[in-house]
Amino acid sequence: MLRNLTVVLMFAGLLTGCGERRAVLHVYNWADYMKPSLIRQFEQEFNCRVVIDTFDSNEAMFARLRAGATGYDVIFPSSYMVQIMINHDMLQPLNHELIPNIQHLDPDYLSMAADKECTYAVPYMLSNAGLAYRADRVEHVEPTWAMLDREDLRGRMTMLDDMRETIGAALKYLGYSLNTRNVEELEEARDVVIRWKRNLAKFENEQYKNGIASGEFLLVHGYNGDIMQVMEEEENVVYFVPREGVSIALDEMVIPVGARQPELAHHFINFMHRPEVAAENTEYVYFLSPNVAAYELIDAELLEDPSINLEPEILALSEVIEDLGEDNRLYTRIWDEIKAAE
Amino acid sequence: MKRSRIPLYTTIAVLVFFYLPIFVLIIHSFNASRFSGSWEGFSLRWYIRLFTEREIWYALRNTLIVAFSTTVVSMVLGTIAAFALHRFNTRLQRVHYTLIYTPLVVPDILMGISLLLFFVAIGVQLGLFTIFLAHTSFCVSYVAMVVLARLQDFDFSVIEAAQDLGANWWTIAWRVLLPLLAPGIAAGGLLAFTLSIDDFVITFFVTGPGATTLPIQIYSMIKHGSPPLINALSTILLVVTFLIIWTVQHLTEDERTHENA
Amino acid sequence: MMNPRNKSFGEWLVTLPSFVWLFILFVIPTLIVFTIAFKPADPWGGIGEGWTLDTLISLGNPNYPAIIWRTIWLSLVTTVVCIALALPMGYYIARAPARWRRLLLLLTVIPFWTSFLIRIFAWKVLLHPDGYVKRALVFLRLSEEGTMLLYRSEAVLLVMVYTLLPFAILPIFAAAEKFDFRLVEAARDLGAGKLRAFRQVFIPGIQRGLLTAVLMVLIPALGMYIIPDLVGGPRSEMVGNKIAQRTFVDRNLPHASALSAGLTLAVMAPMLVVLMMQGRRREEHEVR
Repeated sequence: MLRNLTVVLMFAGLLTGCGERRAVLHVYNWADYMKPSLIRQFEQEFNCRVVIDTFDSNEAMFARLRAGATGYDVIFPSSYMVQIMINHDMLQPLNHELIPNIQHLDPDYLSMAADKECTYAVPYMLSNAGLAYRADRVEHVEPTWAMLDREDLRGRMTMLDDMRETIGAALKYLGYSLNTRNVEELEEARDVVIRWKRNLAKFENEQYKNGIASGEFLLVHGYNGDIMQVMEEEENVVYFVPREGVSIALDEMVIPVGARQPELAHHFINFMHRPEVAAENTEYVYFLSPNVAAYELIDAELLEDPSINLEPEILALSEVIEDLGEDNRLYTRIWDEIKAAE
Repeated sequence: MKRSRIPLYTTIAVLVFFYLPIFVLIIHSFNASRFSGSWEGFSLRWYIRLFTEREIWYALRNTLIVAFSTTVVSMVLGTIAAFALHRFNTRLQRVHYTLIYTPLVVPDILMGISLLLFFVAIGVQLGLFTIFLAHTSFCVSYVAMVVLARLQDFDFSVIEAAQDLGANWWTIAWRVLLPLLAPGIAAGGLLAFTLSIDDFVITFFVTGPGATTLPIQIYSMIKHGSPPLINALSTILLVVTFLIIWTVQHLTEDERTHENA
Repeated sequence: MMNPRNKSFGEWLVTLPSFVWLFILFVIPTLIVFTIAFKPADPWGGIGEGWTLDTLISLGNPNYPAIIWRTIWLSLVTTVVCIALALPMGYYIARAPARWRRLLLLLTVIPFWTSFLIRIFAWKVLLHPDGYVKRALVFLRLSEEGTMLLYRSEAVLLVMVYTLLPFAILPIFAAAEKFDFRLVEAARDLGAGKLRAFRQVFIPGIQRGLLTAVLMVLIPALGMYIIPDLVGGPRSEMVGNKIAQRTFVDRNLPHASALSAGLTLAVMAPMLVVLMMQGRRREEHEVR
């Protein structure tokens, strides 16, 4: 018995021993947000190992960091969260000499960023959160948030479990700004979400992708690229941008204070903006990398897709989620009331 | 006198209830279809894909590191604790018993959050080490309880005989007590090992960058797709579990035959 | 024998390792939870300075009672169903011939040893809208095409019963095994009906096992987090989910602590009862 145990322990030691010599880059990212073969390519080029942990909302990521998860090298927050992290001295200033590829960044999108000079953050991808449905199962589709009121889809719909996105959708539906600080508007939006909630199967940030692909859900609220990845596998899934406007998120790459491999982290950010890498990545994840040099390499049809490149009239109604400072509490309270409502 | 048939029917129904989902899962792991709805022919592709998924191997490695360290440490601590509980009957042991017993019944989520807050308060870096500390904290109690149960059937005259023969404390512990208790300790260790491998909730709270264990990996697979992969992985885990249970059964059975002899 | 001082030194020597470990990693963390419940939250996930009762008071806000109430009734119903199934099953296993008993026991224990997450996932597969259960129900006209089996409180209940049932069967079986079944026969001979003999002789006879079974199901059910998370819907959140949400999404640690402290107290009360009983049993054991 004791001898067997020793053998087993040696085996465990063997497992720990191998592969640890190379530097390890810890990345904290959204799920399905980077082409896996590009990560392999980076590992080979820089002789390192990339370990990716995933999060499903900015708030969840931030809470994890605040609850002691230190040691990540590169994180992918949305720009409003970048602002919050800058305010809390959680980020390292970037060394632009190590990231020459920021010259390729699209100035149009850079203007949406919280950190326009890229002092702390470099834009990674652009996304929007709209609706998707099963064309084979849902009839009479109108491109509007009001689809969530459809009684015939009761129990087969999901919305994001993300307070800013979901309250934001209701605010857009009502024609308000999704960065409103007006309590009455927010309470009106709350009542709309509570009404929708009665038709929902779940508030869900990740399962919706598989759910709509397998026909478990018929209408879901989700991010454009994630849905387009699903469409690749299941042709009956269709994404649309509601005509009332949507939230646009600019997700960025940052290096937190306490990163163990800051130099490698810079290389990683730079690598992601090599035009050919950015193009390949966009063609895989279906989110737009705001990299001008990459545009020429991306399939024109994809680049012109109205779910990636919003139509001007919808774009005019859409907004980027901003940090609201102390007024965040207002959203937390509204979100609590939504969650608690029967 | 005729006995009621209700107990028999309930037992059959419950066993069907227990195994139905597990069988469906196993069958589906051989389904070629990506979605569990329909059957599209027999295939081993998910098993093959499983072996190329680097994340799973990485998670397995982490799980084993934690499980082995947890098992060893909780076996030592638990056995010593059981011995103390059994040998002495003092107020200290009553407190000690409460301390050992309570973690067994506290819901996982409470242990998870309290340990997370503790680790944050003292500023420990979250990771495999904190997972190990957390797992050991609940496994000690299980090992102690299993070994304590064995000690209660234990004949202490053996020890007195050894003492009469002039053996010192250390010799008694190492030469007499340990071999006699070995099956109990091993059973406790296996229990600790399985509990550590299976724990999700507590691990979820105290995990840190890169410290993904198998249950955390399974959870994220459930959350974002690849059900056939989970089916295949589950089937493998089920087979491994059966083997472990079989071993445990074997260990205890051996002992019973000895006792009877 | 050892002299008294030696003995007490020896006792400390074998008590300290586990005692210190659990004191640091179990008692102190629990105390921290109770402490932080009295701290103010700052909106950015930190713990504020000073002391406050606001967090505790805010537990009275109208958002909570619904969740607390749901947690209690889901846990109670789970317990009742588990006991109702475990009683006849424990009874049957205890009365089965030795070889069968061993096999049945093994069959009961195996699901309890397999991965918790995987068992929950298996139900997700089974209850999928295009899955087997749904198709069977539609075929039997018990369900309509449009109804959803997953993501509702009933699904949470079903899966909770599924995962917690072995915890009820085992203690009931253990008690029933020691029970003298001739008492039931005697009651029957004296003219008691089957049910009456079961209720008035068997159940009091296994009272202790029954109580353990209730606690083994009720306590984990009260703290359940993962089942409502995976198979529950927007209207089946439990206290556990709220604790996780407060910790991992809202970054409000004082709130999470206050909820956890309340849950701790809620499970502590029944636990103390059992501990006292166990203590008494231990003493009896030692006297013998």
